[in-house]
Amino acid sequence: MAMSILHRATGIANYAGMALLVIWLAAAAAGQDALMQVNYIYGSWFGQLVLFGFTWSLVHHMCGGIRHFVWDTAAMMEPGQREKMAWATIIASVIITLVIWTVFVWVA
Amino acid sequence: MRETVITKDTIANPRTHYGDARASTRHFITQRVTGALNILFLALLLFVVVRLAGQDRADVVALLANWWIGVPLALLIANVVVHMRNGMRDTLEDYTHGSIYRLLMLLNTLFCLVIALVGAGAVLKIVFWG
Repeated sequence: MAMSILHRATGIANYAGMALLVIWLAAAAAGQDALMQVNYIYGSWFGQLVLFGFTWSLVHHMCGGIRHFVWDTAAMMEPGQREKMAWATIIASVIITLVIWTVFVWVA
Repeated sequence: MRETVITKDTIANPRTHYGDARASTRHFITQRVTGALNILFLALLLFVVVRLAGQDRADVVALLANWWIGVPLALLIANVVVHMRNGMRDTLEDYTHGSIYRLLMLLNTLFCLVIALVGAGAVLKIVFWG
């Protein structure tokens, strides 16, 4: 049940978060000054915090979506299996997010 | 909380489109197809953002002006927007109804249109005009 709520919550977060991507792309299309302002905001500690959350939200929603694809085949629906899938989703989303940020941001 | 009780007549009346077989099936399939394509979107987004985060405009143009990167990115943004609007429709159907639902669906459509037009438009502007 918690995963259902999280799937909807991350979906709504992704809905709003798409505005962040579009603002960045629009600034890049507009000009160097606009892009530098967006880069400054997104590069600040608060911007990085939001982008980290957005990354996890996207990855978690993707994992939840893959879980729905498994359910669409009528597999993994029994009690116990469902709970295992729920734990797999949250653990996978956290690990994938940390790997992305470790490899591409913190170490790079 | 529902304003109106859903009766057999409501469901039987085709004008209500309540539980519309075609529309609901289309909604279901659309959400799955766009969702699967969104995995490609995330892969491309990761590639683009890792390469371009914090970079100058010249670097952004150098990467996105490659049509085989820019055009798929624009198309996948449009795909994301279809998924966004469909998903938000599910949420609105669960919590709202009547005129509030129609108003919020209008705002939903407008927001999604802005995201699609500005997002894909910005990418295509970079692809074709630098």
